[in-house]
Amino acid sequence: MRAWFEKGKPLAKFYPLYEALDTFILTPGKVTKKGPHVRDGVDLKRVMVFVVIALIPATAMGIFNTGYQMLLAKGLPYDFAQCWWLGAQKVLPIIIVSYAAGGFWEVLFAVTRKHEINEGFLVTGILYALTLPPTMPLWQVAVGISFGVVFGKEIFGGTGMNIFNPALVARAFVFFAYPAQISGSAVWVAVDGFTQATPLAVIKEAARGSSPIAALSDAGFHFHNMFLGFIPGSIGETSALACLVGLIFLLLTRIASWRIVAGCVAGLLAMSGVFYLLRGPEQLAFFALPPHWHLVLGGFAFGAVFMATDPVSGCATNAGRWIYGFLIGVLTVLIRVVNPAYPEGVMLSILFMNAFAPLIDHFIVEGHIKRRSKRLKPAGQPQ
Amino acid sequence: MGTFYIKQGRNIQLEGAAKTEIVKLPIPARVAILPQDFRGIKPRLEVEVGNLVKAGTPVLVDRTHPEIKIVSPASGKVMAINRGDKRLLLEIVIEPDGRQEAIHLRKFSHEEIKNLSRQQIIEHLLEGGVWPFIRQRPFSKIAHPQDTPQAIFIQAMNTEPLAPDVDFILKDKEAEFQTGLDILRQLTKGKVYLCFDLNAKSKALLEAKNVEKHTFAGPHPAGNVSTHIHYLNPIRQRNDIVWYLGAQEVLRAAALFLYGAFSPERYVAITGEGAEKRVYAQTIIGTAINNLFEGKLKSDMRYISGSILNGKNSGRNGYLSFYDTQVTVIPEGGRRHFLGWLTPGFKQNTFSKTFVSSFLPEREVAVDTDTHGSDRAIVLNDIYDQYVALDIMTFFLLRAVIAGDIEEAEKLGILECDEEDFALCSFACPSKTDVGGIIRAGLDLIEREG
Repeated sequence: MRAWFEKGKPLAKFYPLYEALDTFILTPGKVTKKGPHVRDGVDLKRVMVFVVIALIPATAMGIFNTGYQMLLAKGLPYDFAQCWWLGAQKVLPIIIVSYAAGGFWEVLFAVTRKHEINEGFLVTGILYALTLPPTMPLWQVAVGISFGVVFGKEIFGGTGMNIFNPALVARAFVFFAYPAQISGSAVWVAVDGFTQATPLAVIKEAARGSSPIAALSDAGFHFHNMFLGFIPGSIGETSALACLVGLIFLLLTRIASWRIVAGCVAGLLAMSGVFYLLRGPEQLAFFALPPHWHLVLGGFAFGAVFMATDPVSGCATNAGRWIYGFLIGVLTVLIRVVNPAYPEGVMLSILFMNAFAPLIDHFIVEGHIKRRSKRLKPAGQPQ
Repeated sequence: MGTFYIKQGRNIQLEGAAKTEIVKLPIPARVAILPQDFRGIKPRLEVEVGNLVKAGTPVLVDRTHPEIKIVSPASGKVMAINRGDKRLLLEIVIEPDGRQEAIHLRKFSHEEIKNLSRQQIIEHLLEGGVWPFIRQRPFSKIAHPQDTPQAIFIQAMNTEPLAPDVDFILKDKEAEFQTGLDILRQLTKGKVYLCFDLNAKSKALLEAKNVEKHTFAGPHPAGNVSTHIHYLNPIRQRNDIVWYLGAQEVLRAAALFLYGAFSPERYVAITGEGAEKRVYAQTIIGTAINNLFEGKLKSDMRYISGSILNGKNSGRNGYLSFYDTQVTVIPEGGRRHFLGWLTPGFKQNTFSKTFVSSFLPEREVAVDTDTHGSDRAIVLNDIYDQYVALDIMTFFLLRAVIAGDIEEAEKLGILECDEEDFALCSFACPSKTDVGGIIRAGLDLIEREG
């Protein structure tokens, strides 16, 4: 088999594709040429696959909940198997199209640039799919991921060089290009003509000075079902619990930076705490939402766990990671609470902080250089 | 005397340490000088195939400073001069005659040594062929006799995987060792630092005089000379020159003065699970690897001159590198495993937390030379610093070097570094990045353009 893809052979162009499939099935089996002669058992394939594994709870929850919301909307009785079946019919095509369209670009760039196919795409493809509403037309799914892969990643030189998280670039692209299919109240449940506002929209529309919790509970939203995720919303984002399970897995395996996640949570709680203290009859209802509710609202949990922790587009210094995470949390609340245009702020705040991450790192590194140069020499040197 | 506890770094747990027993080996059938071992000189051949040499006959000299000589470790005949691409000198192979005739120079008594001037000592070290064992930082090249170092570091510990126990090698050699220290003491107006392991017991180290003693504890790279320099006499710019040498070279310097001849003696720890008799061999510089194994070499093993982290693949027909005090034998990898990215890994050698074995108590596991993955762009940029004992932001330093930004790389402290300080980063990197290789490229670039 291998011989067909080697240099000078007719299929040589597609060597990256062959290599990707080949090493997916069997480990590369290469040996070191120089020191270190022994290498760690982990490779990037394993790291990326582990992120995908961490996304399994959110994906499963997304499939189940999509079906569950459809049954609710149609007024049918609860049926466990039916939830999975209906959900899978809606969600799996989106995931498959996302992987297929994105994978096409990935392979195209690998073949023209003659490098191996990067496993990072395994993560991007599913992350993007999970941020979409279940009603998203499949052609828009494909256009979005194409934009994300090409303009979010490949034009910067590919994996490891991108400034923005490609999955979020894809999400932002469809958000601005096709707002009708990704916002409003008609898109979150995959039943034609059925409208239901998300919790974020419910609070936004509540009267000034009114209680946001009462408004939520009138609409059928409680802390527990928002935490568990049995609410309408983007496929993978509704369940904070599923994100929490994924987070625990990523932290145990030391793949995600705990500093970024902790920073996000701290920023979110701090900023929403400030608004909470300022609440009053003249203020927007959102001010009065207790800080811990923000954790289970919208896509925050998903964004903080899976998007903000992307090591390539985030900060690369430890102090920077705290600042980066904290500001994501702060911006998320700012956009949510006082910005009337966008219902959710996680996506935009992460993209915004992606742009600032190199600047934050720059100041941290400058500080490091200053500290280095101040380090005193030991006494008694002749020169 | 201070003690430094190094927190960064980590030991790779593996089988195959050498028993603390010294075995004296016969003069090998072949020895070689490997010109690629030397950094900072342009080698010029002083011998031709067929020439007879003695132990101490110059084989190579530096083109620009011919007083720097690399001498033959054995008496015998030059058997071959092997070159590689572009006529690059690779090996000067000498067939020893077993008589070990030496070139005789002046002898000095302990008292005479104390009254020698710096210049006399330098000249004697150069003449006797011991000079190339003294190297300098920055750039880890052979020291320059015209320089005055700020300090001299004696590296009397080694924390590389399965490394020889320097403390054991120095046992009962305190008199020679002290003589060597007294000789080196004359080379700098600054301090001579003797750095050794916190648990060292030999008198040679504990009772050494006229030097400043410091102990280091903690995982590898606590024993690296960069670590010692970083804490005791940090290098901030190119003119901050320090010299360093290993403990065995101190003995060599002493022997040169006391006995008036170049001492080619080398203690080598034979380690690694592929080596059957794991002991400390008493042999000579540049010995053929097969001499260390009585000619019984296995084809499915890799023979490394040095450690698994920083050694060189010598091959079965290769030779011990000039500065190495260890040989490691490990199985070659290259077997392909089904769905490797999904296996739980109960016996995987890893620093990551992605295998079951990461959560089991640490134990020695078997290793091989498999890369366990293909080269990728750096994605996990937060893993390096925990394995570097210097105050270095590794990822940013790598970026500066790759971008060719010499100024930034210097500000980030590249002059304090050597590639060996980043071997653990290369080991642990899931993208299989050659971190040390990038650092070396950066150092070479700075040396060339600066």
